[in-house]
Amino acid sequence: MTSTAPPIEVRGLSKTYRLGFWMSRKVQALKSLDLTVNAGEVCGLLGPNGAGKSTTLKVLMGLVKASSGEARLFGMPPTFKETRRQIGFVPENPAPYEYLTGKEFLTLAGRLAGLSGMSLDQRVGEVLHLVAMERAAGLQIRRYSKGMIQRIALAQAIIHKPKLLILDEPTSGLDPVGRRQMRDLILAEREQGTTVLFCTHIIPDVETLCDRVAVLVAGKQVRQGSVKELLTSDAPLFETVLEGVPLSQVHAWGYQPKYSKEIGERLILRTSDQDAQSLARKVLGLSGRIIQLQPVRFSLEDLFLEALTEVKDTVGTEIT
Amino acid sequence: MRIFAALALNGFREARRNRVTLVVGMFALALLGCATLVTVITVYTFYRVLTDVGLGVMSLMLVLLAIFLSSGLLSREIERRTVFLIVTKPVSRSLFLVGRLAGNMLTLTVLLRGMAGVFFLEMLMYRVSFSSSQLVAIGVLWFELLLLSSFGFVMSSFSSQTVSAVVTTGIYFAGHLANDIYAISSRSKSTVIQVVGKVTYYLLPNLSRLNYRPQASYALSVAPGEVLSSIAYGTTYAAALVALAIILFKRRDFK
Repeated sequence: MTSTAPPIEVRGLSKTYRLGFWMSRKVQALKSLDLTVNAGEVCGLLGPNGAGKSTTLKVLMGLVKASSGEARLFGMPPTFKETRRQIGFVPENPAPYEYLTGKEFLTLAGRLAGLSGMSLDQRVGEVLHLVAMERAAGLQIRRYSKGMIQRIALAQAIIHKPKLLILDEPTSGLDPVGRRQMRDLILAEREQGTTVLFCTHIIPDVETLCDRVAVLVAGKQVRQGSVKELLTSDAPLFETVLEGVPLSQVHAWGYQPKYSKEIGERLILRTSDQDAQSLARKVLGLSGRIIQLQPVRFSLEDLFLEALTEVKDTVGTEIT
Repeated sequence: MRIFAALALNGFREARRNRVTLVVGMFALALLGCATLVTVITVYTFYRVLTDVGLGVMSLMLVLLAIFLSSGLLSREIERRTVFLIVTKPVSRSLFLVGRLAGNMLTLTVLLRGMAGVFFLEMLMYRVSFSSSQLVAIGVLWFELLLLSSFGFVMSSFSSQTVSAVVTTGIYFAGHLANDIYAISSRSKSTVIQVVGKVTYYLLPNLSRLNYRPQASYALSVAPGEVLSSIAYGTTYAAALVALAIILFKRRDFK
């Protein structure tokens, strides 16, 4: 292991799945992905269904082999046992052995991670407490709710105190209480210095949890940076809602709004600050009415939708 | 070794908590009890009837169970995605595979021992003497179960539980008919049929080599060399199948 190597380093990673009985259909799930996650960071992979988020995580966990490119965890290939000892993983819709009780499952997970004896028993108790599952520890997992399964899955991922946590859709399908609990648990791990990479399509989770975000669409990375950088990278926009002036008139004046929509008599426009001021004066001069004029708060959702429209490829494009 | 034991014991625990295993076990015991009724209609061949029915039922139930358990061993884990939580731990895929098979065999061993215990108890009840060939038949049955489980295991590493179960059942019957396939094809005038027959004979597991129940029925003595040869055959064949399963499983993508 290289001590200075980042927890996650991905270079030119591509994955093509072969489907069908004869494996003749090819679907490219990932296209030349580059990604680095530094120690202590919480990084979110954001993207719609089929964007390649889960495939990225599966390659990192050795569940899927990359078609080309390279993925390294702490400077080592993901399949090395030494690498795995430092990683905790929660897959999408985790399915622990349902015939086991929560405690038995955690004991098994701990054994597989290399723990034994007293230290294993002690750690099982600790993680049960961390995920607030002590009372259900003796219950078979088949009786657990989705939120409880998610928490026990997180417990098995952290039982060996990993330096890196990889989580696939950790809050998907949970009710608001369950989501809140999962988010708190992830934040607690972050506070302890654990590096976290997770994928989701739930934007508020990204805004709450992430230091950095990579947006994937159709297997390609279309944005990457800190949440702050991504949200302030564009010039500030102003939204003007006006009445009494048609869109054709706005165009005739020479304005090219970034967004426009006519709803009945009203016209909603997004323009630069400078354009918004001069447009307001012209509208008032033409006896139009300004209903609203305010700066647009650019959200991750806007960024996400913008990225989606930029990428014209169909998600999971068949290449043969 | 600790990880191997954890995986094997987990497999055993799964089978123990699986109601189907219990039901089949109880059913086997009930059928063994039926041997008691059969003896009512026999005049004096208690030994033969008890051995035929007891070993036959034991073999049938355990073979069915071996096929059921092994064919779903990996495919179920893959379908339910439980495998994601295990193979991402610092555990090699081959160790996971061998551990799961060991758990399966542990279950079958416990059931085989239990059923053999019931069988010998019944013999004792009817004051029928035991024979060494009965022990041989029961002991070698374990290797037949190992071979069948390994086959189901290979199948379940790349196909669904249903497909695995159907193919493994087919292999069970074909394996017991391997000698007949060879004999019939060698009588054919067509060279193609002869070659196909020979290839099939050598590829199929010859399960009749692991069947000592006819000898047990007639209390015939079995040469130790022959038994050892059969055991070596069964073990080697099973090892080759496990190696194949490991190769297939290691190459597999878990989508």
